[in-house]
Amino acid sequence: MSTPKQSKHEQILSTANALRWEVGERLHDSTIESLYKEAERIAGRSVAVEGGRPRISFDRTLDRLVTSRVFGFPLMFLLLAIVFWITIEGANVPSRLLADFLVDFAHPFLKETGTSLGLPWWLNGFLFDGMYLAMAWVVSVMLPPMAIFFPLFTLLEDFGYLPRVAFNLDALFRRAGAHGKQALTMAMGYGCNAAAMISTRVIDSPRERLIAILTNNFALCNGRWPTQILVATIFIGALVPPHLAGAASALAVVGVVLIGIFFTFLVSWGLSRTVLRGEVSTFSLELPPYRPPRIWRTLYTSLIDRTAIVLWRAVIWAVPAGGVIWLVSNIHIGGESLAGLTIGFLDPVGILIGLNGVILLAYIIAIPANEIVIPTILMLTVLMTGSAEVGGGAGVMFELDSETATAAVLHAGGWTLLTGLNLMLFSLLHNPCSTTLYTIYKETGSARWTWVSALLPLAIAFIVCFFVAQIGRMAGMV
Amino acid sequence: MTPFETLLVGTLVLAICAIFAWPRKGLIARWRRAAERSARILVEDALKHLYDYEYRKIPSTLESLAGTLSISGDEAVKLISRLEGLRLVERRNLELRLTTGGRSYALRVIRLHRLWERYLADETNVREAEWHTEAELKEHAMTVDEANAIARKLGDPLYDPHGDPIPTVAGTLPSHQGIPLTSLKDNEVAAIVHVEDEPAAIYAQLVAVGLFPGMQVRMIGQSPDRVVFDAAGNEVILAPVVAANISVVMLPVEAVHEGPFLTLASLAIGERGMVTGLSPACRGTQRRRLMDLGVVPGTMIEAELRSPGGDPTAYRIRGATIALRQQQADLIYISEPTGTA
Repeated sequence: MSTPKQSKHEQILSTANALRWEVGERLHDSTIESLYKEAERIAGRSVAVEGGRPRISFDRTLDRLVTSRVFGFPLMFLLLAIVFWITIEGANVPSRLLADFLVDFAHPFLKETGTSLGLPWWLNGFLFDGMYLAMAWVVSVMLPPMAIFFPLFTLLEDFGYLPRVAFNLDALFRRAGAHGKQALTMAMGYGCNAAAMISTRVIDSPRERLIAILTNNFALCNGRWPTQILVATIFIGALVPPHLAGAASALAVVGVVLIGIFFTFLVSWGLSRTVLRGEVSTFSLELPPYRPPRIWRTLYTSLIDRTAIVLWRAVIWAVPAGGVIWLVSNIHIGGESLAGLTIGFLDPVGILIGLNGVILLAYIIAIPANEIVIPTILMLTVLMTGSAEVGGGAGVMFELDSETATAAVLHAGGWTLLTGLNLMLFSLLHNPCSTTLYTIYKETGSARWTWVSALLPLAIAFIVCFFVAQIGRMAGMV
Repeated sequence: MTPFETLLVGTLVLAICAIFAWPRKGLIARWRRAAERSARILVEDALKHLYDYEYRKIPSTLESLAGTLSISGDEAVKLISRLEGLRLVERRNLELRLTTGGRSYALRVIRLHRLWERYLADETNVREAEWHTEAELKEHAMTVDEANAIARKLGDPLYDPHGDPIPTVAGTLPSHQGIPLTSLKDNEVAAIVHVEDEPAAIYAQLVAVGLFPGMQVRMIGQSPDRVVFDAAGNEVILAPVVAANISVVMLPVEAVHEGPFLTLASLAIGERGMVTGLSPACRGTQRRRLMDLGVVPGTMIEAELRSPGGDPTAYRIRGATIALRQQQADLIYISEPTGTA
């Protein structure tokens, strides 16, 4: 052991430690200051700046316009409306084609192939009625809107418009303790919550990013829009004269979206003051120069990064869930199917919050994707009521072409206006789908936040539905 | 049950849940805190008090100890005999003194306390008035290893947000510096080095006025019932007992900042100003972020766009357009603005 050397080391270290008190706390500051000073000196010697104008006047004029008090907000709503309209209109045809092919053509074909290969009925049913059908459903409902919505959104982002939206809306989000860019992740959530989780990466402040992740669920996603529209048409539209039915159900859906926005702000506000107090928060928002969008590149990245990844995750989750859906309807214990037993068990809870056991079971087993909730509800309702005229049998999810036929099934299942209303609220507020939860886990790297993001909305959904159910019943609704 | 009864029961269940589980104010949180107030805490708090008086060269007595810990004289006597039994304290006549062991224990607790305050100030959203109370709890619950990990993460900070030095692992501290603000003569300029965080009521007043270490102050005038001074451009009036809780050091002439204390938030759209400094209240991640964006003394910044809501404002900083909130822009000092577009 070299003692003199050791003591020399220690001497140097203790001198260094003593000197730190003299150097003080400004070391970091002065380092950065001198770096900038030096960089400025070098740039001043070797970089020539052309012209006196600091910024292209086109950018300035456009910025004045899109952030003006008069035109800022109308322009924003107009653009968003256009994006949604193109998505909905454009997705109809390919969705129908995909469903025609994957569900109406390929499903019977695969089953027949299975039978001719001599597969036992249960394996055939498990593979094709369960696993395959769930996957086919998710792909045909999910893929077209995502493949249209995400590229459009990415184009706006690439052009430089989206940061201006965040700039316009920041005052609103600041009051809830959130970041203006949460407006963008919310808008993304109206397309798909799982993709929105990835998009929260644009928020660089840890606390605000967590808020955006934990509240994104309140933005109604692509998989829940059809549920809302269907239920609103059947239950709200029926309350008014036929010529007003369309407008009434549309208004009801808009109402649900607004309730979602209200909860986004309320929960953001609450979170930033309680559980997220201990997280770092900073703010800065760059407004990059406008530039012509690179269309091909955008198409490529948004299809690969957003659509493909999310779709792949959804399929991975949908396949086993499809298997489970088939199994619970086909495994019998003591003459009653597993589904029937679970529904009997869940019914009291469901009725307490204005729903029923079928809906709760559907939300449990269709957790991979909200797209298959309605097909699962229909299948389970037919299974429970025992009417054999519609559907494809136990464990085979289906949808009906006409709303009247759907309404008939639901009414036979004991649904009322209150059930419809609470289903709309539950669908808006309940926990995110497992694809989204998995994405949250990947993005935050924390099991704790993943649990919070599942249980917090679920608790809110139960509380809200409970109160609506009791008040509704007191007001004479059944 | 009728729906009305169900509603009542549901509301009651929710209310009970809230009473139990409400963050920080619920029963569970209170019980947890009460359980933490063990005998060990009293010992550690006593050592801290004795060290504090020793550092400020004030003799500590049984009364001062009982007063600081809000315990009765009997309890204080019991506590002191316990401390003596542990060989942490010795009594000379009426004065209490720390032994070497007691001093190093006290320094360890103080290190945890100040580190945690610094951590809350730099890395979290916990409000300034709560730093001290939170650290009072945390200092007893943290292990030395945890504290060292936090210190590394923060870059081994030297001072806590009140300006108190943080003891090093070896337990060294620089000698006490600073004079009370009240000892300044009229028109003398000094910098705040320390804002005493106890008692809580006085500290809350100082926080409300917005005084923090690093701030430049100029004495305007004193009378027996009030002290008037200028703190970074704002006139502040305090009672002398409150003002005595602020320590300052005299500033050398070349370090005195003359002229108005304008902030970036005062720029009208189209005006330009040169950054003269960042307020010491801008800390941690926030400060690093701003400096990384190029907000350093000498940078010219132009206010470019105001959001329709009036906040945030977009600024032209070194060729990039960056939106900052007013609360941040208020922490950036600039020189006299020029040029209206």
